[in-house]
Amino acid sequence: MSVLEITDVSKIFGAVRAVDSFSLNVADGELVCLLGPSGSGKSTLLRMVGGFERPSSGRITIDGEEITHLPPEKRPTGMVFQSHALWTHMNVFKNLAFGLKLRRLPAGEIKDKVEAVLELVGLAGYGTRMTHQLSGGQQQRVALARSLVLEPKILLLDEPFASLDQHLRERLREEVRDIQQRLRITTLFVTHGQDEALALADRIVVMRDGKTEQADRPDVVYREPRTPFVAGFIGTMNLVEGIVSNGVFTRSGFSVPLAAADGPATLAVRPEALELTPSASAGQAKVHRVTDFGTHGLVDLELPDGARLKAMVGHPQMFSNGQSVDLKPTAIAAYRDNALIHRS
Amino acid sequence: MARTLAATRIDWVGVAFAVVLTIVIVFPLLVVGTWAFAEVWRFPALIPQQFGLRFWNQTLARADVWEALRTSLSLSVMVTFLSALICLPAAYAFARLKFPGRDILFFSFLVGHAFPKFGLLVAIAAIFLQLNLIGTFWGVVLIQLVGTLLFMIWIPVAAFQSVDRRMEEAARDVGAKPLRVFWSITLPQAGPTIAAAVLLSFVGTFYETEGAWLIGAPAVRTMPVLMISFINNQMVIQYGAVLSVILWVPSFVALLFARRVIGGGAFARGFGG
Amino acid sequence: MPVVLVIWMVVWPIISAIVRTIWRPDASGAYGFNLDTYIFFFTDRYSLDNLSLTLWTTGICAILLLVICLPIALYLRFSAGRLPAYVQGLAIFPMFVPSIILSYAFIRVLGPNGMVDLILNAAGLPKIRTPYLTPWGPVIGLVWDNIPLTVLILLAGLGAVTNQSVEAARDVGAGPIRVFWDIILPRLGNSILVALSFTVLGLFSAFTLPYVLGPAAPEMMGPFMQRTFRDLYDPLNATTQAVIAFGFCLVFGLFYVRSVAKNRTP
Repeated sequence: MSVLEITDVSKIFGAVRAVDSFSLNVADGELVCLLGPSGSGKSTLLRMVGGFERPSSGRITIDGEEITHLPPEKRPTGMVFQSHALWTHMNVFKNLAFGLKLRRLPAGEIKDKVEAVLELVGLAGYGTRMTHQLSGGQQQRVALARSLVLEPKILLLDEPFASLDQHLRERLREEVRDIQQRLRITTLFVTHGQDEALALADRIVVMRDGKTEQADRPDVVYREPRTPFVAGFIGTMNLVEGIVSNGVFTRSGFSVPLAAADGPATLAVRPEALELTPSASAGQAKVHRVTDFGTHGLVDLELPDGARLKAMVGHPQMFSNGQSVDLKPTAIAAYRDNALIHRS
Repeated sequence: MARTLAATRIDWVGVAFAVVLTIVIVFPLLVVGTWAFAEVWRFPALIPQQFGLRFWNQTLARADVWEALRTSLSLSVMVTFLSALICLPAAYAFARLKFPGRDILFFSFLVGHAFPKFGLLVAIAAIFLQLNLIGTFWGVVLIQLVGTLLFMIWIPVAAFQSVDRRMEEAARDVGAKPLRVFWSITLPQAGPTIAAAVLLSFVGTFYETEGAWLIGAPAVRTMPVLMISFINNQMVIQYGAVLSVILWVPSFVALLFARRVIGGGAFARGFGG
Repeated sequence: MPVVLVIWMVVWPIISAIVRTIWRPDASGAYGFNLDTYIFFFTDRYSLDNLSLTLWTTGICAILLLVICLPIALYLRFSAGRLPAYVQGLAIFPMFVPSIILSYAFIRVLGPNGMVDLILNAAGLPKIRTPYLTPWGPVIGLVWDNIPLTVLILLAGLGAVTNQSVEAARDVGAGPIRVFWDIILPRLGNSILVALSFTVLGLFSAFTLPYVLGPAAPEMMGPFMQRTFRDLYDPLNATTQAVIAFGFCLVFGLFYVRSVAKNRTP
């Protein structure tokens, strides 16, 4: 059953349609990532669910109850902001207790709840600290706890780890995932990092210009991107413009059999799906540069007309700059007019 | 490079500035302080012949001093209270809300300060003359209010703007109504700066001379107005000195307090620097 | 409420002042366009003397303030530690000394038989010619009074000059003077003008210092307006003088408004 239903929601800022007739249903306990470049409308959408922006049109319901025009304080949502937005004039305990006090809970109960949630985010005993005495990761944990302590029906996270360093970000997203699964809390997570989305989400919604490009399980989004935009946005992807004629896609000496009608097409090949074989003759491409990552290598290739491709190889030492190679894609997809025309 | 080298040596430029400024700025006030505690100081002695508190007793025994102090204090309290009441909501509206005519309003506040204040005071006084407000307590209150608008709008606007909007949104999110958010989050966050603004407007009113002299004198005599008449007409030098020392106390409190604001740069920004 | 107050206390007086000085009853009581008071002001020797004294004081003060405050601000911007903190504290200090106390201190120090005279006398030197009750009296007082604001504004302006830009210039071989002239000064232009505007606005409305320290005649616009209004009971001419002061400050006022409006975070 869907807990959150977003139906045909639009948000117009002046001449810009930040969110454009967007619909999404989120199931109970599901973690959905809204993924897209900045300006794709993902944060605006989240803020409309939280009540910080009013939709220009459309409906938002939680548990079947319409909340489209309710102010934030009347919604059963809890938001974690990018900059943590902790109240710096209160200590950790007061930050967490503020919402509970507004609900007029007895002091003893407030104390129990706050301590339980601090325990949950791994900050037991930090109640008397001031927020500036905490590290960036701890501050973000307190922000998460501040939302969780009110037991919201829907947890909203707006790029919560954006200001943290890579290492901390990875650790925190695992913690968030653990907590989310333990509490089975329905969660909407906004990010522009594909790693984060792939690691966290039950479902990824890729957004572009206020619209959904694709909404699927992470593995499906990765393996079967429905548009060239999704293909290019998630993971590394070689996108090659070329011509299909008589069942063969061709671009400057590089050709692949492709079962599609004649015409222009965009070929999408993952670097790990592009096999290289050293060529005795001129070959389809030349090696431009080889980067050795230890576990694998990345080979930059150049087609005769200068177009660039990347290929992942197991033994980078087999290749050297300027070498001629033949290319053999093992899995391809092709797009025309922004739609999938072939996959094999 | 040059700078690190200079830092290891003695900072002669700094020493020069410090010495010159000390002489120019602190020395005159020390002289006044000395006069306040001098019972006899005749030319050409470098220091007073006799120190003592005689003139403190005499000054504090004067009814006009107490009367002026009472007038000044009640005036300052009233003006500060009124301008906080009027200006703080306005400052919040400027900093946060978008409403039609906002820019025009902002502009009109500015224009008020783009004119020489004394000219404005004379123009207002001309109107007060018709309203029979000249020489009344409330006339002085109103004219002082003009002077405090500057502090009480600009500094709080900067303070409110520096409060992270998301802190307020987070408070809405956990269930606080807008008024509660203002009271529990925005005001405490902007608190120290606003307190400084209130203090500045209090002190500013306390020392305001022009408006009080123009509108109030001689019926309403504030401390600075009394001071002018002491300077002009009083033969006993020490009265003025003692009064100066007393007068300077609120200023000293302001000095200690306002350092935070000025350090934060909100003050200079308020002046468009 | 604040809107009403602002209109009533700021906009209305200005408009009313202008209207009532040019549109008023003549001898017969009929209302009409009348520039008599302005003609009087600009033909009256004494009024013109007062105006030119004000302009002279403003000019001198502006120059002195820049000459004094720019080095202080530069020094404060490019050094750190306890001594600069002390210097900054001192430079801002006059902001917390009411002008009336300053006037009193001025008389006690530079006035006849003041502290300076005492020291010179003790050293066996002749007395100074006291600036008290001469045009230089207000100049010294006003400069003293305006140091903090000027330093603060310039310092705020210097904040926009990054350390990197200065270091980059030094890196390509610019000496301190070139750095100041080519890197710092262009960025500082706006702040200098704002500081200047403040000086002009401040001096045209200065009252206490010129009233207490300055000569009785000619006098600066502040005391002149006050005396016309209170001692001569002539609000009409006082208002005329106020409008003329507005006029002279208009350019600087507009500049100030523009600069603030530009700096305002939307």
